[in-house]
Amino acid sequence: MMSKPFGYEPIIQKEDLSKSNRKKVQKASNWKSVLFRTWRLIDHQRALLVVVLVLVLVSSALALVGPLMIGNIIDHYVIPKKVEGLGMQIGWLLVVYAGFSIATYLQNYWMVGIAQQTVYRLRTQLFGHLQKLPIRFFDKRQHGELMSRVTNDIENVSQTLNSSFIQVFSSVLTLVGTLSIMLYLSPLLTLLTMMIVPLMFLAMRWITRRTGILFKEQQRAIGELNGMIEETISGQRVVKAFSQEQNVVKEFAEKSERLRTAGFWAQTYSGFIPKVMNTLNNMSFAIVAGVGGLLAVKGYGGVTVGTIVIFSEYARQFTRPLNDLANQFNTVLSAIAGAERVFTIMDEPAEKDEGLKQAKTQTLKGDVEFCNVTFGYEKEETVRGISFHVKPGETAAFVGATGAGKTTIMQLLSRFYEVDSGQILLDGIPIDQLPRQTVRSQMAFVLQDPFLFEATVRENIRYGKLDATDEEVEAAAKKANADTFIRKLSDGYDTVLTAGGEEISQGQKQLLSIARALVADPTLLLLDEATSSIDTVTELAIQEALERLMEGRTSFVIAHRLNTIRKANKIYVLADGEIVEAGSHADLLERRGLFYDMLKNIE
Amino acid sequence: MKTVFRYAIRYKWSMTIAIFLMLLELAVELIQPLLIGKIIDDGIMKEDLGIVGVWGTVMMGLALVALFSGVVNSYFASHVAQSFGYDLRQALFVRVQALSLAAFLRFPTSSLITRLTSDVTLVQNALFMSLRIMARAPLMVLGSLIMAFVVNSKLAIFLLAGAPFLAVFLVIMARKGVLLFGRVQRRLDSVNQLVQENLQAVRLIKAYLRGAYETSRFSQAAGALKKDSVHAMRLMELILPVLLFIMNVSFMAVLWFGADEVRNSGMPVGDVVAIVNYAMRMTSAFSMFSFLIVIFSRAKASSERMEELLRTDDELEPLNSLGNRCHGAAAVRFEHISFRYPGTNENVLKNVSFEVKPGEKIVIMGATGSGKSTMLQLIPQMFHATEGTLSINGKNVEDWPLDSLRKMIGYVPQQSMLFTGTVYENLSWGKQDASQDDVEEAAIKAQIHQSVMRFTDGYQTRVGQKGVNLSGGQKQRLSIARALIRKPSILIMDDSTSALDVKTEAALWMALEEEDTTMFIVTQKIQTALIADSVLLLSEGEIVGHGTHEELLKTSSFYRKIAESQQTEGVE
Repeated sequence: MMSKPFGYEPIIQKEDLSKSNRKKVQKASNWKSVLFRTWRLIDHQRALLVVVLVLVLVSSALALVGPLMIGNIIDHYVIPKKVEGLGMQIGWLLVVYAGFSIATYLQNYWMVGIAQQTVYRLRTQLFGHLQKLPIRFFDKRQHGELMSRVTNDIENVSQTLNSSFIQVFSSVLTLVGTLSIMLYLSPLLTLLTMMIVPLMFLAMRWITRRTGILFKEQQRAIGELNGMIEETISGQRVVKAFSQEQNVVKEFAEKSERLRTAGFWAQTYSGFIPKVMNTLNNMSFAIVAGVGGLLAVKGYGGVTVGTIVIFSEYARQFTRPLNDLANQFNTVLSAIAGAERVFTIMDEPAEKDEGLKQAKTQTLKGDVEFCNVTFGYEKEETVRGISFHVKPGETAAFVGATGAGKTTIMQLLSRFYEVDSGQILLDGIPIDQLPRQTVRSQMAFVLQDPFLFEATVRENIRYGKLDATDEEVEAAAKKANADTFIRKLSDGYDTVLTAGGEEISQGQKQLLSIARALVADPTLLLLDEATSSIDTVTELAIQEALERLMEGRTSFVIAHRLNTIRKANKIYVLADGEIVEAGSHADLLERRGLFYDMLKNIE
Repeated sequence: MKTVFRYAIRYKWSMTIAIFLMLLELAVELIQPLLIGKIIDDGIMKEDLGIVGVWGTVMMGLALVALFSGVVNSYFASHVAQSFGYDLRQALFVRVQALSLAAFLRFPTSSLITRLTSDVTLVQNALFMSLRIMARAPLMVLGSLIMAFVVNSKLAIFLLAGAPFLAVFLVIMARKGVLLFGRVQRRLDSVNQLVQENLQAVRLIKAYLRGAYETSRFSQAAGALKKDSVHAMRLMELILPVLLFIMNVSFMAVLWFGADEVRNSGMPVGDVVAIVNYAMRMTSAFSMFSFLIVIFSRAKASSERMEELLRTDDELEPLNSLGNRCHGAAAVRFEHISFRYPGTNENVLKNVSFEVKPGEKIVIMGATGSGKSTMLQLIPQMFHATEGTLSINGKNVEDWPLDSLRKMIGYVPQQSMLFTGTVYENLSWGKQDASQDDVEEAAIKAQIHQSVMRFTDGYQTRVGQKGVNLSGGQKQRLSIARALIRKPSILIMDDSTSALDVKTEAALWMALEEEDTTMFIVTQKIQTALIADSVLLLSEGEIVGHGTHEELLKTSSFYRKIAESQQTEGVE
């Protein structure tokens, strides 16, 4: 029962807390740097923060003045039954309390602003950093898990920042104040009261060493659950079609159980804090009363009965802010668990881009050369020894079996990945010496999986060129043969496309992404199976537009429909990551090699 | 909130224990001042250390009782809260799974995710807090008030004077809070959505250099979230100062009239002092009140969002009923089927009728957006036909148990959707009890076995979400193998060979020849039509031709046009 209450599996193992491991854990968590980095996010609001602190001082002072004034009124007006001046005194009291309420409100008012501004900065910085990360980073991660960092983890930080700052400051203030009075009253008794501080410290350490681990585990579990939810819901159609609902529910339950267990332990241990503090509080009183009483009786150290009475009251007040601090410390730990997950992502190295600065505005001619390029996503090589040269304005087509490495070549050219060996030259300059900006700003892509944003049709096409006019957008749509179907949509170009949208078909999505590339008007054009879901009649209709688009631009085309590539200047046939044949359509037919075989198969 | 908190009721015993322990702790806390008084008055004042010792020990004992109740309460309260959260998540997820596709599509993915995580956490925390401190604040206020009345009701009445204002104020604030925090959660939805979109479209965004643009879009969404959060929280911060101010004004009234009473009717000064003391205790409890109101209005807002989902019970689909499935190829018949998507006016399919005999292959062709995918989605009952009857093996699909129906269908969607896990796990997804042999057999048929064997870890290779780093054709073939493994009676292939090269595709069709299944194949390729028993031509949701390749070549100009568009391919 004790080791597995309600059947919850224990999370913290003895080893986690052992000395050797503790160091490791602490190093990994590195809460100091997390706090420092969070502080850096706040520090531009330092002035406002000072205002808040001053207000905390004011409200704390007013909170002390109020009772003093009441005491005064009772002593000097109520007891002696004095009337004149009473109204005045009460009036002043009213002012003090109004001041207190206003100061309290204002400090919280500004603190909420500071906290949320910080959270906003953290969020946008995280998002901005995600934009800079290489594709490789995203290959291995679940979307939902990353999403959890932007929402759940940062929400954790938000909750804490709102309240903790003021709480901690006012607790420290009260603590210092009370301690001074106590020292003034009796240094000896103060020392006695302080005896519980080491105990408090030990208790806190015992608890927070556990909650520190548990909060992290909890955030990790919620991230994993988020990942599973996102993935399942995004693939809901497949789940339904295969009637796998029961199984995903089972899988969900397992992940959810992990979150429950972590949450249970984290919440239980955090819940100990106020209880333990309360007990120590009582102990401190007993010590003061017992030992103090003894001293008073024996007449040591100038302790009198009166001192004990007053002192015990202050001793009680002394532990309250300590208690608050302990609670806040725990809240801060849970925020750190969240913030740490955010900073982990922000520490991921961004895509390297040591491109030549002067080349930034350079317009490319579109001369592309691959020299002996080898690359693999993982250990095994996906493409090997790829060499070819495409001159400005030429069209190069890549054909070959699935998995032969066609898309990989496109991905290397757009610098989604860096080559393992060999070199890619753009206009004779090694591609890794050109800023990505330069390279990509002159490329337009139609990717294998057309993606549309949750936005209007018009905005989706305009994505290729953000300052395109409505006329340009519509002209591109017409060329891509998309205009007819767009006009049939409920709101035409202003129809909002939704993620689960039934509004348009896969083929129509491809037409829209072709229109998007048309609007971009690039030097280099990359078409990766741009028309695979489009029926061949429509394809013929846009063929002309595509050809016109390719005119004067260096184009790379991947297609299985050999129709699309007939007019290419050069066709490269890939097999198992290597170029096995190259030449014009006619050359290759004449050679009667792999390409000829591929065509013959169609017959 | 009722629907949501129903899930807490099953933990009523644990809750009772938690609340009991909380009250026990509270009781100890209330007794303590009395004991302290006793120690001071009878012990220290009279210099009787014996009394100090006795009462001191009693106090220590009680403190330990409080510690014990507090610690045990911690276990029970977190157990209740976490289990409640768990049950709630489970209920929500099951509901999402049970929703018909039409109802499901009404909720954006991002919003469903927020509801299942962030919203649950908020409600769960509210419950935990209730079990820990809920009773304290009201009891403290009530207790002090009663004591004040016992002391002197004439003066105590002033403490109540503010009560109506307070009540009205609190109700207004709570209502407003629910509204505002609801908006905050909706903003969180849109932040979630933007992140999700950006993750899905990461290549597109990089390709078009839209990082900065997306970041500015995100700043807007995050800015809106900030603005609404600040708005909601600032309003909530108003509660405490106002509460305290009203309370303090009552205070002053007590002092003013108290002084008057003392002067004119000889009320003892001690009464005034005592009432002032009780009033001070009440104010300290009020700070807890404002905290509770924030927690509760957030929880209320979140539970409304969850309830919206839990109350969506139109067209629920039963989860697995362990229904039996038929084996062997099935006959499929469309009779005067018309269909429009829920919430739209235009028919996507118009009066479609045709029949496919068991074991036949039917190829469906037509322009993009002519309704091919839509038509196929009706077979596994993703959507229900608006008009007409669709029957399988002579039985109306509406009468089939959904589970049995879908179990006999192998569905290969247009966009191959793979899940995080190994190749093996992804394939056996189609059939839970699949053996290694089953998996390999399906992979061989789908022409993916050799590729898999070339991966470093073979079938144990991990494919990321959506199968990143597999080529488009590899993903399609894995998706086909996943459908084949269940030996479906009906195989639906929605343009799922588009990324396959001709040779691989030819081998695939060859392998599928032996399958005992009825095949629906959407394709753009006329060569595929050659191997089909019949070809169906769709145009704007209507059938404009149905027959064999040869027949259609003769009768359909539309078909000839398709054929011509591809004729130039191949060797002249």
